[in-house]
Amino acid sequence: MADKKFIDAMKQKFSEDPTEKTTQFYNMGGWTQSERKTAFVNEGKEIAEKRGIPMYNPDIGTPLGQRALMSYKLSTTDTYVEGDDLHFINNAAIQQAWDDIRRTVIVGLNTAHNVLEKRLGIEVTPETITNYLETVNHAMPGAAVVQEHMVETDPLVVQDSYVKVFTGDDELADEIDSAFVLDINKEFPEEQAEALKAEVGGAVWQAVRIPSIVGRVCDGGTTSRWSAMQIGMSMISAYNQCAGEGATGDFAYASKHAEVIHMGTYLPVRRARAENELGGVPFGFMADICQASRVHADDPVATSLEVVALGAALYDQIWLGSYMSGGVGFTQYATAAYTDDVLDDFTYYGKDYVEDKYGELCAAPNNMDTVLDVGTEVAFYALDQYEEYPALLETHFGGSQRASVISAAAGCSTAFATGNAQTGLSAWYLGMYLHKEQHSRLGFYGYDLQDQCGAANVFSIRNDEGLPLEMRGPNYPNYAMNVGHQGEYAGIAQAPHAARGDAWAFNPLIKIAFADKNLVFDFSQVRAEFAKGALREFEPAGERTVITPAK
Amino acid sequence: MAQIYPGTSQVAQNRRNFTNPEYELEKLREISDEDVVKILGHRAPGEDYKSVHPPLDEMDEPDDIVRELVTPIDGAKAGDRIRYIQFVDSMYFAPAQPYLRARSYLSRWRGIDTGTLSGRQVIEARERDIERLSKILLETEYFDTARTGIRGAGVHGHSLRLDENGLMFDMLRRQVFNKETGKVEMVRDQIGVDLDEPVVLGEPLDEETLKAKTTIYRIDGEAYKDDKEAVEVLHNIHVSRSFGAFDPNAGW
Repeated sequence: MADKKFIDAMKQKFSEDPTEKTTQFYNMGGWTQSERKTAFVNEGKEIAEKRGIPMYNPDIGTPLGQRALMSYKLSTTDTYVEGDDLHFINNAAIQQAWDDIRRTVIVGLNTAHNVLEKRLGIEVTPETITNYLETVNHAMPGAAVVQEHMVETDPLVVQDSYVKVFTGDDELADEIDSAFVLDINKEFPEEQAEALKAEVGGAVWQAVRIPSIVGRVCDGGTTSRWSAMQIGMSMISAYNQCAGEGATGDFAYASKHAEVIHMGTYLPVRRARAENELGGVPFGFMADICQASRVHADDPVATSLEVVALGAALYDQIWLGSYMSGGVGFTQYATAAYTDDVLDDFTYYGKDYVEDKYGELCAAPNNMDTVLDVGTEVAFYALDQYEEYPALLETHFGGSQRASVISAAAGCSTAFATGNAQTGLSAWYLGMYLHKEQHSRLGFYGYDLQDQCGAANVFSIRNDEGLPLEMRGPNYPNYAMNVGHQGEYAGIAQAPHAARGDAWAFNPLIKIAFADKNLVFDFSQVRAEFAKGALREFEPAGERTVITPAK
Repeated sequence: MAQIYPGTSQVAQNRRNFTNPEYELEKLREISDEDVVKILGHRAPGEDYKSVHPPLDEMDEPDDIVRELVTPIDGAKAGDRIRYIQFVDSMYFAPAQPYLRARSYLSRWRGIDTGTLSGRQVIEARERDIERLSKILLETEYFDTARTGIRGAGVHGHSLRLDENGLMFDMLRRQVFNKETGKVEMVRDQIGVDLDEPVVLGEPLDEETLKAKTTIYRIDGEAYKDDKEAVEVLHNIHVSRSFGAFDPNAGW
C-alpha cells in the first residue's frame, strides 16, 4: 500500500483505513462540517440583509453533507483544499491561467521589417527594434503615441500588459535590450533550446500580452485587434511614418491577419466565438502553452499531467462548464484528473510497465498490438485500485471521473510506449470499453457518447474523418460537449512528445511565448498555482481596486 | 462462443441470463401492486390513470403500415402518460448493473425508453406498463433491498462505501434497515416524499448470494481480466471499430 501515490490523500480524506468497505453516514453535521460552506452561510446572511433579497442557504434543496465532505489534495503538492476552492470563480489562479492565454497573441515583425527595408528603404537594426519595443510597451497597455489629445488607461489597472520578442538568432537577441527579450537559451534546457532556435531561425516574433482586464470586459477576439492597433501606432511612431501612408496598412494587415498566431481559432457560428476563446484552442496548443516540458524534461508523467490539469480546469471547468453548459457541476468532474495523486499513480505505473516491457520509452512498435498490451494493462491496474481501495472509489464517486482518469492513464502510457499520440488516443478508447464492460457502467449519457464511437476516427487524418490529436480541439466533432475528456486529450497529445524529449508538441512559437517569467500565472507548475489560488494566496492581475472606492 | 454476451465466468453467465428473454427470472420476494404504486409515487393507489390522449381505438388514425405491424402496449392503447422508475445499483455486488439493465430491458420488453449513467438507470414507459415492469424489477433477482436503490432524484451512492448495516448510501434515506425485523423498509417514495406507512421490501440478500447473482466484475469477486474470452471479444470489438473503415489486410 505504501507505494500507492494516492494513499496519503485517502488517509487525509477519510477517518477509516482506505481498504475499509463500510463507514457511517448521516451523522457528519451536514454542511457545518465544511469550513468553507459555513463561511458561505455567514456571508450569504450578511449580503441578504444588506440587499434585502435572500441569498445562499444550503438548507434549501437536497441536504448537503450527509456523508463526509472530502478535502482534495492538489496532486504533487502538499496542499489540501475544499472542493469549493477549485471552482474557477473561487480560484484566482485558474482565472488568471485563462486570462494569460486569452490576452496573448503572437505577432511577427518580419513582414513589417520587410516593408520598412525593401519598400521604404528604412534600415532596421537591433537599436531600432529596441526603440520600437520601448514604444510598443508604452502603447500596448493603452497609451497614445501619435495623437496629442487622447484618453489613456491607468497603468495600475493594466500593469500586466507588455510586449517581448524572441528569435532563433542569438546574435540579434543579444543586441536587443534584454528587458524586451524572451531568452530561449535561459529558459529551456540546452537541447530543447537548440531545437526551438532552429525552428524559429532568423525570424523575430512578438509575444504580445494585452491587459487581462480587456479580455474580461471584451472577449478573446479583442486581443489581436487591440494588439494590432497598438502595434500599428507604435510602428508609425518608432519609424517616423506618415500616418496613413500605404505601408501602415501593411503593418496593420500583418499584425491583424498575415503574421499573427491566435491561441485559439475562430469557432463556427453555431458556437459563436471569436479567436482566442477556449473552444478554439487545439490540444497541441494547450500542451505547448504548458511549460512543464522544460522544467520536467526527464519526467514525461509530470509533464503530461500538468497539461491535463491545465486542460481540465480551462476546457472543462471554464469552457464546457460555463461557456457551453452553464451551472456549477463541472468542477466536480474535472478536478478528479488533478487531485489526490490518482492519475499520477496510474500513469507512473504505466510508464514503469512500458520501460520494463519494452526496455525504454518510445521503443514499442507503433501499432495496435502495443495499444492492446499497454492500454489493457494500465486500464486493469487502474480499475483494480478502485476495487481494492473503497476510499478511492468513493473519492471518484462518479463513473465519468473514473473513466477520465483510467483512460487518460492508458492513453498517456501507450503514447509513452509508441511515441505517437494517435496510438495513445486509441488506448484511451480501449480503456473506455474495458471500464464499461468490467463495471457495466461508464459516465453519464452525454459523457460516454464519444467514447463509444471515437475509435472509428482515430487512425484517419483525412478531412472530415479525423485529425492528428495535437490538431484536434474542443470543437472537434463529438468532443464539443463532454466534460472529462479535453484536458485528458491535451495530456495525451503531450505524452509522446514528453517521452521523446521533444521541445514542443505542436507549435514552437507558442512554447517559447509562454516561457516567460513576467506572465502572472506560472505555466510550469500548474497544479501548484491552482493550490495557491485555492488557498487564496495567488495574486492575479487586472484588478479594479485602483478605480473603485477604497474598502 | 456463447451468444448474447461472451465470457466463461459466472458474471458473464448472469449477464446472459438477464439479457436472454427466454430465461425465467427468479422471483425473490412479493411486493403488492398497491405497494409498487406507492413506491413509484406517480399516482395514489386506486386513483385512475391520467391520460394524454384518448384510447387508440377511439382515435381516428390514418392507415399506416407501421400501425398495422406494431401491436400497441396496454398503456399506449389506453392513452396513459409516460412515467418512470429509476434504480441505483451499488458496485458492491448489486445483482443488476446499469448497462446490464439497458441491454436486458431492450431485449425483454417493448414500448420502453431507457437511459444509462454510471450512478443511475432509468426506464420509462406508459404508466400502467411501467407499473407492471416495476413489479418484475422489484420482485425478481434484478433487485436487492440493500444494494439496489429506487431513486428518482438525489441518486449518489453507487460507488460509496456501505453503511454499518450493509446498505448503500442514500442522502434521502428512502430505504432503511429495521434492526428489529432484519428487513429493509421503504419509508419514502422514489422521489423522496414520505410514505404514510413503510413498504416492507424484505431482507437483504446475503453476501454469498449477491456474489453468485451479480453482474459486475470485481477483483474481490470474479475479475474481468481473468475472463479471457470476454476480454478477447472486447479486443476484437476495439480493433474492428478502429480499422473498420480501412483495408484490414493492409493495416493502417
